[in-house]
Amino acid sequence: MKTIHNTTFYMHYFLQMFLFASTFLCMTSCDSFVEVDLPKSQLTNVAVFDNYATADAALTDIYAKIRDQGLLTGMTSGLSNQLANYTDELICYGSPGDPALPFYLNTLLPANTSITDYWNISYNQIYAANAVIEGVEESDKLTVEEKDQLKGEALFIRALIHFYLTNLYGDLPYITATDYQKNNVAKKITVSEVYTNVISDLDSAINLLAQDYDNPERIRPNRFVAKALLARVYLYNGAWAEASNAASAVLNATDLYGLEDNIDGVFLKDSKETIWQLQPATSGKNTDEANSFIFFSGPPPLVALTDNLMDSFSTADLRKSNWTAAITDGSSTWYHPFKYKEFDYTATSVEYSIVFRLAEQYLIRAEARAQQGDLIGAKEDLNKIRERAGLDETTASSQQEIMEAILQERRWELFTEYGHRFFDLKRFGQIDAVLSLTKTGWNTTDRLFPLPQNELSINPNLRPQNSGY
Amino acid sequence: MKTFSLNKGLGALWYPLILSLYFSVTPTYSNNTYRHKLSIQQQIQISGKITDGTTPLSGVSISVKGQPKTAFSDFDGKYTISAAPDDILIFTYLGFRTLTIPVAGRSVINVVMQENATSLQEVKINAGYYSVKNSHSTGSISKITSKSIETQPVTNILATMQGRMAGVSITQTTGVPGGGFEIKIRGQNSIRPDANAPLYVIDGVPYSSDPIGYNQTSTTFPTVTSPLNSINPATIESIEVLKDADATSIYGSRGANGVVLITTKKGKAGKTAVNIKATTGVGTVTKFMKLMNTEQYLAMRRQAFINDGITSYPSYAYDVNGTWDQNRYTDWQEEFLGGTAQINDFQGTLSGGSDKTQFLLSSTYHTESTVFPGDFIYKKGGAQFNMNHRSEDNKFKFNFSTGYNIQDNDQPAFDLTPSARYLAPNAPAVYDDAGNLNWENGTWQNPLRYLAATFQSKTNDLASSAVLSYELFPNVVLKSNFGFTDLRHTETRTAPSTVYNPAYHLTSAYSSVYVNNTERQSWIVEPQINWEKELGRGKIGALFGGTFQNQNTTRLYQFANGFTSNSLIYDLASASTVRVLYSDNTLYKYQAFFGRINYNWNQKYILNLTGRRDGSSRFGPDKQFANFGAIGMAWLFSKENFLKENTWLSFGKLRASYGTTGNDQIGDYQFLNTYASSGVLYDSNVGLQPSRLFNPDFGWEVNKKLEAALETGFLQDRIFLTAAWYQNHSSNQLVGVPLSGTTGFQTLQANLDATVENTGWELTLRTVNFSSQNFNWTTNLNLTLAQNKLLRFPGLEASSYNQQYRIGEPLNIKLLYQYTGIDPQTGVCQFADTNNDGTISFPEDKQTVADLNPQYFGGLQNQLTYQHWKLDFLFQFVKQENYNYSVGIPGQMSNQPIRMIDSWQQAGDNATQQIYTTGYNDAAVTANYLYTDSTGGITDASFIRLKNIALSYDVPLNTKNVRCQLILQSQNLLTFSKYKDGDPEFISSGYLPPLKIITAGMQLTF
Repeated sequence: MKTIHNTTFYMHYFLQMFLFASTFLCMTSCDSFVEVDLPKSQLTNVAVFDNYATADAALTDIYAKIRDQGLLTGMTSGLSNQLANYTDELICYGSPGDPALPFYLNTLLPANTSITDYWNISYNQIYAANAVIEGVEESDKLTVEEKDQLKGEALFIRALIHFYLTNLYGDLPYITATDYQKNNVAKKITVSEVYTNVISDLDSAINLLAQDYDNPERIRPNRFVAKALLARVYLYNGAWAEASNAASAVLNATDLYGLEDNIDGVFLKDSKETIWQLQPATSGKNTDEANSFIFFSGPPPLVALTDNLMDSFSTADLRKSNWTAAITDGSSTWYHPFKYKEFDYTATSVEYSIVFRLAEQYLIRAEARAQQGDLIGAKEDLNKIRERAGLDETTASSQQEIMEAILQERRWELFTEYGHRFFDLKRFGQIDAVLSLTKTGWNTTDRLFPLPQNELSINPNLRPQNSGY
Repeated sequence: MKTFSLNKGLGALWYPLILSLYFSVTPTYSNNTYRHKLSIQQQIQISGKITDGTTPLSGVSISVKGQPKTAFSDFDGKYTISAAPDDILIFTYLGFRTLTIPVAGRSVINVVMQENATSLQEVKINAGYYSVKNSHSTGSISKITSKSIETQPVTNILATMQGRMAGVSITQTTGVPGGGFEIKIRGQNSIRPDANAPLYVIDGVPYSSDPIGYNQTSTTFPTVTSPLNSINPATIESIEVLKDADATSIYGSRGANGVVLITTKKGKAGKTAVNIKATTGVGTVTKFMKLMNTEQYLAMRRQAFINDGITSYPSYAYDVNGTWDQNRYTDWQEEFLGGTAQINDFQGTLSGGSDKTQFLLSSTYHTESTVFPGDFIYKKGGAQFNMNHRSEDNKFKFNFSTGYNIQDNDQPAFDLTPSARYLAPNAPAVYDDAGNLNWENGTWQNPLRYLAATFQSKTNDLASSAVLSYELFPNVVLKSNFGFTDLRHTETRTAPSTVYNPAYHLTSAYSSVYVNNTERQSWIVEPQINWEKELGRGKIGALFGGTFQNQNTTRLYQFANGFTSNSLIYDLASASTVRVLYSDNTLYKYQAFFGRINYNWNQKYILNLTGRRDGSSRFGPDKQFANFGAIGMAWLFSKENFLKENTWLSFGKLRASYGTTGNDQIGDYQFLNTYASSGVLYDSNVGLQPSRLFNPDFGWEVNKKLEAALETGFLQDRIFLTAAWYQNHSSNQLVGVPLSGTTGFQTLQANLDATVENTGWELTLRTVNFSSQNFNWTTNLNLTLAQNKLLRFPGLEASSYNQQYRIGEPLNIKLLYQYTGIDPQTGVCQFADTNNDGTISFPEDKQTVADLNPQYFGGLQNQLTYQHWKLDFLFQFVKQENYNYSVGIPGQMSNQPIRMIDSWQQAGDNATQQIYTTGYNDAAVTANYLYTDSTGGITDASFIRLKNIALSYDVPLNTKNVRCQLILQSQNLLTFSKYKDGDPEFISSGYLPPLKIITAGMQLTF
């Protein structure tokens, strides 16, 4: 009897449990079981632009990305190193497989990962800028001032990246929205159409941005940063008067800017010459440029300055003595760029990566003036730079001589900075003459990079490939 | 209702509660007996011994016909059971012919059982929610058991299946222990390469195979760390792979790529037995590439400079300009990969129990060093416990299994294989005279610097399951599975300052470490009800159940740098900077209802209906639910009267199935438009970045499977042949559609209106070639001929896939240039200008299709036993094409395959390889680049491999209480292949090939 009781008891329990479990499961078995909350680490795009702090974080992340990857990073993958390898500034000692070698050996191909990365990373940065512009426009929580600042900076970024892209790849799409369906089949526009868009974005940015820096470390663009880029854009376009005016606007803001008298102060964090610089990732870290270029024993592990460049400096030039450094192993001597000197961490960072500095504005105006026939004005600006470098005034007198002197001066002043040499040689029409001397197999079509192979497969509107590839 | 919701965490508490209630009522119940049903006949005690002719058989089930009574033979093969003198005893044992013996008044009955091929029909196949006799199965299920698993000295379960299952293609991706395997069951269904993983289920509990590694830490492997390494093959009783719709539809949305069911070993009734197995062995690389020696290499380099018209060697050409000793020769493959890995393995098992309760406790420990120089080691250890209980009346059943495994892996941060291949043969010595890393004045990147940079990973994995069932009424069983898994994984990759060229003068302030912590917990509850009834000559069975699953994954990726000393590199607190790169907690919830109705008429006609309604949190609102179902039918024509009398056909079955399954391997939260932290600082802000391009509308991928098969047994099943034909269509493809970079991203999740077809033939043949008391020989052959085809892709031409896929061709194709040979005048590779525009242009001329899928593959296994000897060997064969290994441009500073010595030198040369160049010959550089993407870069990579060979010898001992077995096993012992660039088994080249392993050991049972 007892066993039977036990069985019933047990059965009873089991049934009860099962029913309980089933009921309970059925109660939860409505659709809500498979609905999940937002992951803790993510915010919806609307929420991001509901508040200034998060909207600002969406914008500053683009600067961090510009600093760490793509065209303008100071790491070896950036233009400062790669275009210096591509032209006559650096000699590459990298081992096989080093991404710098195809630049140095002039063997860039459409499938090259650096070529593809530049493209993808740049358009990702442009996407982020467009997302900020759209988010800010749709937000009803941000103030007008906040909106102006965020949108102004984002427009500047969009213009900046497109400017570099078109100088490297030629005709390409100008992306102004986040809609992937349109962007996926974006059509190429001509270089001059790209410039029209760049100028229009910069004009809007100049209207939106404040005169003063948001951060006194000059790590966020203000109105003058946009003007400085605009000056360069006009110069590259042959709009001499506009270039000269834009550069003057920056040069005349003397309460903010002035040339550093001491050549060793130019690349310091608090240099008066800095128009816009990128803050390192952590406090105490210094520039990636220093890490890319400086070495301590020969032969150089990655790159060294070419003899061609070193020999072109006059001995009195302070830039030779202070912005380059010699490393010797007893028999051979190599030189590395030494503009940024802090290789290691310091208690607080002493050098930031300077993207725009005043010296370039002088040289822009000098060139623009020379082109317009204002030879005196041109020489005046040129001599400012020479004087600071410890050199005598230029002896050039004819327009052509002055132009030649400006190109030479730019080489000495701006070496291994963001590919200036490459763009200068193109603008002065000397790229084939100069580079065919040092680069075996140099072709005039090498003035443009190939379009990434993968892009051509995906988006037929980008075809044909740039000629020569 | 919300308060009761499982997703609030409270829900999980109920399950232990229910569990403990079950426990608390069990003991009171176990006193129950059948006393009230006492037979009126007098019972006598019958005893005896069961052998297979030589060795005793333990665990044989002895029952009395018509009574629920069962006994099991013990370790010595002895049994006792009480029965009436005129009762009939039934002896059943897996793999042996069932014996029916009348007691006939005897009290001692000794039995010799015969292993019989016919029993193949009786083998129970685990189909997940139910099991079915092989002969009554309507679905396509492959199975391997511990018998074949134990002969293999491997640590990954996928390795144990290689070459043994029709329709299952498995490729090892690296020979470094802890690395991964790629598995495809009946081909690639999804266009997304990472959405083709099958569903893994261990003892009823789904085991997520989603990677747990991180690409910045798992740098040693071609793919990031997979959790599957945690599963211990030694604890596995059987692996069943479900392939067709009939078998997989009950797994609904997760069955599209097949289901791998893993059943762990269970305790056996009988004497408490101890089993100890210890093996030790060595592993070496199967095959090296044939590379140039110094003389050939330098000749190539010098010629390259001559070809380029360069007379003075540049300062950075250290190998030819005299900086490096030109008489040095090092076989870098031998130096870096030529070591011998030491493998040690220990397994111990304790098992036993009574008729009603059995247990098993096992433990394993495995260590494996590497072929790389340096002290690297992979350690794996674990314990497994299983308990089985049945109540006295057999109505209540309880099964509990839990396994805990720990892996500890220490490897160099990077595989040395690429360095071993490209390094100039006259490159400097790796160590200087003082034994320090030699940097040769900074003229090279010493590959052994990676020995200081290490990859370390530690994985702790717990998988537990409980099954409770109760026979409520005759033929009605209530059942529920409960499962819990907990995986904790920590992985680090260091880059101490010593890995950098000393010319940089880097201190430990530049040392860095990446740390990845991944934790994954999941629970599952699956209540079910099962009903069976005999209806006349038929039998109907029905099963209904529900699934509730919750899986929580936490990931934390960190980067730290700037240490005061390199010895503190693993201590994040000692770093000057610690950055959190990724921190996330993802929740995956899954809910389903499933059912099965099976009708079996007279054991001749069988109909099987299965279905499932699934919901998954991985889809956006209104897209979460979908239905899946299948129909399976079988006709056992050998039971028909017209075949009953024949002597040759012992079994014949025709079966067919059709149904749908789905695929939700898409990642979590992909439908949301969000920003996520980038973890990077600028202007005192931690950045926020757009997570993805979002698409809220994507839904389930649908996979329709059709199969027809014929299973036949001849001569009492001594020849057993199965031929299956299948056709699977996957549509509504869920893919990361490649986007143009101008969108800001490279992919977007979306359903693509494309259909992929997988068709194939699978043949398995088992023959018992010889069967006698002393000598047995069986052969198993499996062969798969599979074809993959993109059937439909509206708008392919205009889509971003237009240079990746072709309608009517497989997914795994490459579009290539057509290589036409070397121009005898210029020495440069030539390609077909198919559009006749005068240049080799992309994409127009890059349209020759190469299919990289295996055309056929399979395995041939032989098992021979002769007295105390047992020999088991498996040949695996794969017919396929793959890429040649490409090492840059011949003539540049990297070593080349020896075939490159036949290079073009002067006009008129008829060479097989093009002109050498150091990089200045533009035409040659471009042609070399085109060549690697041309038909010339593809070659036959077929192989036949002696995948496994195992020899064991039962040492004849005087005592009956101890069994001692000597074991000799080998994996990948011989490889036959025309492929020249190393081992032909790889997915991406440049990683350590699978190792050749030889082990010897001893197994003691007492």
